[in-house]
Amino acid sequence: MSAGRRVAIVGVGYSDVGRHSGLTERHHAAQAAVRALEDAGLDASDIDGATTLGGDAGDFAWMLGMGPLAWHLNFGIAPAFVAPAVEAARAVAAGACETAIAFRLMMQQPSSAAAAAGSAAIAVANVDDTEFQFPFGDFSPTQWAGLLMNRYLHDTDATEEHFAQFAVTQREHAMGNDEALQRAPLSVDDYLSAAYISKPLRLLDCDYPCDSGSAVIFTTEERARDLRQPVVLVDAMALVSDHDMNFELLPDMTHTAPARCADTLWSRTDLKPADIDTAQLYDGFSVITFQWLEALGLCEPGQAGPFIAAGNTRLGGSLPLNTDGGACNVGRRHGANFCIEATRQLRGQCGERQVDGAEVGVWSNAVGPFAGAMLLTKP
Amino acid sequence: MGIEQGVAAPPMPPPGSLGAFFWAGAREGRLLIQRCSACGTYIHLPRPVCRACRSFDLAPAEVSGRGTVYSFTETYKAFHPFFVDRVPFLLATVELEEQAGLMLLSNLVGAAEPDIRIGMDVMVDFEVLSPELTIPVFRPATAGGS
Repeated sequence: MSAGRRVAIVGVGYSDVGRHSGLTERHHAAQAAVRALEDAGLDASDIDGATTLGGDAGDFAWMLGMGPLAWHLNFGIAPAFVAPAVEAARAVAAGACETAIAFRLMMQQPSSAAAAAGSAAIAVANVDDTEFQFPFGDFSPTQWAGLLMNRYLHDTDATEEHFAQFAVTQREHAMGNDEALQRAPLSVDDYLSAAYISKPLRLLDCDYPCDSGSAVIFTTEERARDLRQPVVLVDAMALVSDHDMNFELLPDMTHTAPARCADTLWSRTDLKPADIDTAQLYDGFSVITFQWLEALGLCEPGQAGPFIAAGNTRLGGSLPLNTDGGACNVGRRHGANFCIEATRQLRGQCGERQVDGAEVGVWSNAVGPFAGAMLLTKP
Repeated sequence: MGIEQGVAAPPMPPPGSLGAFFWAGAREGRLLIQRCSACGTYIHLPRPVCRACRSFDLAPAEVSGRGTVYSFTETYKAFHPFFVDRVPFLLATVELEEQAGLMLLSNLVGAAEPDIRIGMDVMVDFEVLSPELTIPVFRPATAGGS
């Protein structure tokens, strides 16, 4: 259990997520926030804390008539949505504010084709170190993901067919989610016949680029009891960093930051891996989810591939995983979808993809040099 | 604005960077890695301070160029005009023999993807990409070492 006041998730919301939506970052922030406030039954004036990865929390809060803010925080390089989520929960727990909203804004990147034609700026995570990447043709996260996936295939019992089965299972989940962008049936052969981007990484190992805004509201357990939704509590959380941003130079690509993050998370709770009813584990690239399953102790070391292929992660299996379809299918919401899906599962609001009796959920973000995770429970 | 294949210049390291010695060494056919003069730790990528002992007394040191393939990936998409007619190419993380965990990102040459194995011994070579830029690349080490 985390120190300080007990914290609950009380409101969740998405913007009109889509491919090249034509909306600005402020549009996406405003839509997500208004829907999260509506979900919670809160007024904008109830919000006295704000944080974001993408854009400026103070700008969004002023635009929406929130505040004055007693606490705010903008992130730069961070392990996706879990960074603002964890810090928002900590700010409420510590009493820095009463009710905090955490945002993730993500605007679609220019296509790789545009980049190759020299007509678009190339986004990079760490500008300072690109002199040791670009001359070797290393420009894209798909390439470090290819390195991580190849080493993972070498170190574990996973096969390319297991990755195919993972993609197929996620798509099955997306078919039950009308917020997913990809819902057409997918087969193992579809996965295996898709082109390599950076072998062994294929197109269907990647999350789906889109414009998205996501917002989640945190407040005290005490206040949460008076609000609109069933209470979902933050039981424990962890946020770790153990390398600089050069994923390509990680000394152990199969056991990266999620391993340290999981150790920290489990040290802060009385819950055990066997208590987890549903897991929502980041899939920016599919190998990341495989790492998280093992790091959190949800399967045996090196066995995530066989564990998935045996059907454990399907609805009705022993550990329904990424039940919204994952970022491969709902689009790149950078982990916010996993926080929101875990919350909805514990509320019992997931319809045909609802996990029966879901009382404990875990969601996570990132891989490599940094990672974060949060355990959610019902009161 | 169109880009003619094969005409584009390779991406250049910025002048005056902390890594300038690395590229100057490559132009001379030498693989130079930053090393702490106080404790002997190799540091890559170059940094202003030694992460092992906090010394600021750091200098380039020539290494053997021998290493092993830690991981590799064959990239099929070009993300920059210079690479449009070079795909597919092999990107690799090479662990240099001088120090456990001393990783270098580079390209593998002289072997096809199906013949590459994680853990295989490799040796540095140098590829001239332009009059201004030479890069260290790695090729499978010959039997018995080189």
